[in-house]
Amino acid sequence: MTEAVVADLGTLRDADRQRRRKTKQLQFVLGIGFPICLLVVWEILTRTGIADRRFFPAPTTIGTVMVQLLESPMERARIGADIVATFRRLIIGYGLGAFAGITLGLAMGLSAKIRYSVAPMITATFPTPKLALFPFLIVLFGLGDASKIAILVLGVFYMTCLSTLTGVTYSNPMYRDVAQAFRIPRMVYWTRVVIPAALPSIVTGLKLGVGQALILIVAVEMIASQEGIGHFIWNSWEIFDVPRMFMGLIIAILMGGGAMLFGEFLERKLTPWVVR
Amino acid sequence: MADTVTDALRPFALDLTNIRKVFFARQQAVEAISNVSLRIQEGEVVAVLGPSGCGKSTLLRILAGLDTDFTGTLDWGHVDGSTDKERLRSATVFQSDSTFPWLDARKNVLMGLSGLTLDRKTAAARADTYLNLVGLGAFQKSYPHELSGGMRQRVAIARALATEPLLLLMDEPLAALDSQTRLVMQQELLRIWAKTRSTVVYITHDIGEALTLADRIVVMTARPGRIKAIETVPFGADRNVIALRGEPEFGRLEVALWQLLADEVGQTLQQQELAS
Repeated sequence: MTEAVVADLGTLRDADRQRRRKTKQLQFVLGIGFPICLLVVWEILTRTGIADRRFFPAPTTIGTVMVQLLESPMERARIGADIVATFRRLIIGYGLGAFAGITLGLAMGLSAKIRYSVAPMITATFPTPKLALFPFLIVLFGLGDASKIAILVLGVFYMTCLSTLTGVTYSNPMYRDVAQAFRIPRMVYWTRVVIPAALPSIVTGLKLGVGQALILIVAVEMIASQEGIGHFIWNSWEIFDVPRMFMGLIIAILMGGGAMLFGEFLERKLTPWVVR
Repeated sequence: MADTVTDALRPFALDLTNIRKVFFARQQAVEAISNVSLRIQEGEVVAVLGPSGCGKSTLLRILAGLDTDFTGTLDWGHVDGSTDKERLRSATVFQSDSTFPWLDARKNVLMGLSGLTLDRKTAAARADTYLNLVGLGAFQKSYPHELSGGMRQRVAIARALATEPLLLLMDEPLAALDSQTRLVMQQELLRIWAKTRSTVVYITHDIGEALTLADRIVVMTARPGRIKAIETVPFGADRNVIALRGEPEFGRLEVALWQLLADEVGQTLQQQELAS
C-alpha cells in the first residue's frame, strides 16, 4: 500500500518536472524564434522589392557590411574609438551625477534646513528637459567633452537625488519608532537603518539614471561631436550609409542592454532582501 | 549610597502619576489620556484592555519613550535606566512587523543592543540566548523575508528581551497572527516571561488574551482614556493556555470584563457617529 503511494509520488514528480521543462522550452523557443521570424519577414520584403532596399537593407546585407567593416583595421579602430569616447563620457558623467545626487539626497534627509532650502528648487527644475539646456552648457563649458559630461551629470543628478530623498523621507516610520524605542545611537541609525531603508529607492534612481544618461549621450553626440556612438549613427545617416547606421544602432542597443543588466546586478547585490 | 535602603523598600518597576496627553488636531484639542495613575510591580504582567481609540497605544508610546510630550510623571523606581548602560529602561514589541529586512535575525537582535554599552562578546551571547529562548536558534542567519510572520514577531520579541529591559512593552504583538499561531505564542510568552521574570505591560483588545497572560488587567474607558477598573487575575504563574479556557473562573471573569467594556465600546461608537 505504502509502496504504491511512493511509486505514485515518483511518477507524479517526473510528470511535474516534464511539464516545467516543456514550459521552459516553449518560452525559450518563442522568445528567440519570434524575433527571428520578424527578421525573415524583413529579409523577404526587401528581397522581393516590397520594401525599399536603400532604406531597409536586408538583415543579411547589414550582416555582411558589418563583417566587412569589422575586417578593416582602420574602421575597427574608428569604431573602437567611438565606443571608448561614449563610454568615457558616460562613466565620468554618470559617476559624478550619481555621487552628487545621492550625497545631496542624503544631506536633505539628514538636515531639515538643507531640505527646506534646496528641495523646492530641485523639484521645480526637475521637469526641465535636460537637452534644452545643452546650448547653455556649451556656452558654459565649450564644445568639448565637458559640456557633454555636464549634461549627463545633470540628468543623472536629478534622478538619483530625488529618489534618494524619497527613500530617506518616506521610509517606513516603523524603523524610526524602533530606533527611538531602543535608543539606537544616531550614527548607527543613519548608517545601518536609514541608508539601507533608502537603498531600494536609491537603486531605482541609479537604474533610471542609466536610461537617462544613454538618451542624453547619444543625443548630444549627434548634435555636437566628432566622435562617439551618437556621432557614428548620425554621420552614417548623413553620408547615407544605411547598413553602417544600423550597425551603430546595434552597438547602441548592446550598450543599453549591458547597462540594464548592470542595473539589475546592482539591485541584486545592494538590496538582496527585497523580494522581487 | 544611603539611597539603597529606601530603594529596597520600593519594589516597583514603574509608577505612573496623573498621565495626561492632549492632541491638537486643527482647531480642536482632543484629550487622548486623562489622569492615568498606576503602579506596576516588578515581575508583574499588566494587560491594558480597552476599546479601540481609548488611548492604549498612546499610553504605550509614552512608556516606550516615543512620545515625550505629555504631562504627569513616570517614576522608574530604584534602577533608572538612564544610569544603567547594560539594560534598557523599556523595550517594545510592536503590533506590526518591526524587523529590519536587510538584517538577519541575529543582527536584528544585535541592532536592538546598539544603544547599550556591552562588549562584543556579551552582546553576541545575549543575541544567542534570546534567539534560542524564542525557538529561533537555528534561524540566526535567516533574513526576515525567509521567515513566517510568527517567526518575525519572535525575532522582535527576542530583540526586546535581549535588552533585558526594566519594562517590556508589548503593543498587541500577536494581533497580526492567525488564531492557532496566537495560542501557541501565548503559551510561549508565558514560558519566556516565567524564565526571564519580565515586568510586562501588554496592550490588547482581546479579553481572552488579557486573562490568559496577565496578573492584572487594567480596563480603560472610551476617549479620553481613563482607568475604569483594575481586575486581578487569580490563575497563578503556571498556566496552560488551553486548560485555562475550561476553568469556570475564566468564563466568569470574561463575562465581567465584557460587561465593563460593553459600555465603553458603545460610547466609542456614539462618539464616532457624532463625529461623522
